[in-house]
Amino acid sequence: MPSSEDQEFSCFKPLSTVLKSLHTAHRRFGLPWQILCRYQNIWNISLQLRPSFLAAIIMDSDMEEYREKVGGDQRIQVPTKGIYGFNSYLEKLRKQEYMKNELQYLGKFCQVPIEIPRDLRGVLIDKGSLNAMRFLTSVHIEYPEMLEKVSRELWMRIWSRDEDITEPWSIQAAAEEAGFSRKQAMSLLKKSSTEEVKNKLRENTNTAYKYGAFGLPTIVAHMDTKPCVFFSSDRIELLAHLLGEQWQGPVPQALKGKL
Amino acid sequence: MANLPRKLELFYDVLSPYSWLGFELLCRYQNIWNINLQLRPSFIAGIMKDSGNKPPALVPRKGKYMMMDLQHLKNFYQVPIRIPKDFLTVILEKGSLNAMRFLTAVNMEKPEMLENVSRELWMRIWSRDEDITEPQSILAAAEKAGLSKEQAKSLLENSSTDKVKNKLKETTSAACNYGAFGLPTIVVHMDNKPCVIFGSDRMEMLAYLLGEQWQGPVPSAVKGKL
Repeated sequence: MPSSEDQEFSCFKPLSTVLKSLHTAHRRFGLPWQILCRYQNIWNISLQLRPSFLAAIIMDSDMEEYREKVGGDQRIQVPTKGIYGFNSYLEKLRKQEYMKNELQYLGKFCQVPIEIPRDLRGVLIDKGSLNAMRFLTSVHIEYPEMLEKVSRELWMRIWSRDEDITEPWSIQAAAEEAGFSRKQAMSLLKKSSTEEVKNKLRENTNTAYKYGAFGLPTIVAHMDTKPCVFFSSDRIELLAHLLGEQWQGPVPQALKGKL
Repeated sequence: MANLPRKLELFYDVLSPYSWLGFELLCRYQNIWNINLQLRPSFIAGIMKDSGNKPPALVPRKGKYMMMDLQHLKNFYQVPIRIPKDFLTVILEKGSLNAMRFLTAVNMEKPEMLENVSRELWMRIWSRDEDITEPQSILAAAEKAGLSKEQAKSLLENSSTDKVKNKLKETTSAACNYGAFGLPTIVVHMDNKPCVIFGSDRMEMLAYLLGEQWQGPVPSAVKGKL
């Protein structure tokens, strides 16, 4: 179900693929996001970033399962902070242990400077990302050309330097590091708590959910008018194959030496 | 002096379609990369129970996603996967205990046949939507793989001995001790430290860790033979 935005875009570039990457401050350091950014000028694609809220997607996905099991329309209130759900992978300690090791390998392989936060559970479950994602939504509305940079700076804080991303000054610091002036950053921060921004974040998150997302990152490739949905960073080679593009690994030639 | 091949253990269960993908990829690369591939038939239900995990298909959205994902992957990996009609019954009710006990028996008595028999069991359940739980189903797969009727019957008999049951438990525990919460789980022994990789979609990263070249899911040496 393409939005009017998609259709308009497809109209201007009928041969290219409109690729939406739905992402958030996520354990995989937005690996597919990073990789897609590297390929956006190599492949014939139009990459559209969609800041979304992971906790809500996981919760909705869990609730769907719960409803199918017990019936009825019960809706548990979406938590306002971190990731929480019946199927939360963090509850499965073994998966958590695995994740920590795997991220080290993936970081080296993809040349992304990942460092696991010391209090992983605290960061993902207690602190969460709502403020950060609202801020990115705000950036997306006002300065879409800055979205990639600010996203990257937020990731660097949480997933490379084990720094906070929930407090206003943390978010402001990331915004300034990305190139915003203090004034612009503060104005965007103020805007983040408006209904306009909250609704936009909900809208993006619901869109991801309607595409069948059960987690993030989720990539939706619009090819031949039918959307093709992929979850996680390990389907990009498959995506290349479906696009008829060449896969050069997570660090394509054009970028070697620049990372 | 040539480097010694790195030992790679592949823990798998024929109930898992992703295990089949991982299995085929590693079989293709075992004569290309400097590795010593060791197949470890395991019991996925045991691993799920031990780790507190559950099959992704039980989460409705993950189940739907999986169907779509497997359609793409079968073409990309060139593995003839076809989803069983009654997919949930096959996975949740019928299961794979007899099949994995049989493969454990094969591994103990005729390890050189393990690859072929495993493949034939996968072809039954995940390509032709055929049963793998009844004795006659397992015998059919064994004979198709090249075992004689007699050999197959003898292995089937062995599968219900304590020796084989314990061996399957042992292999499954070994996977759990490595931290497995699902299958396929690959354990690469490098520099004295085991490196554990989950899933069939980390092969390119595996190649990187081994210092080998990734040529996609269908390397040149194998093209045309599939």
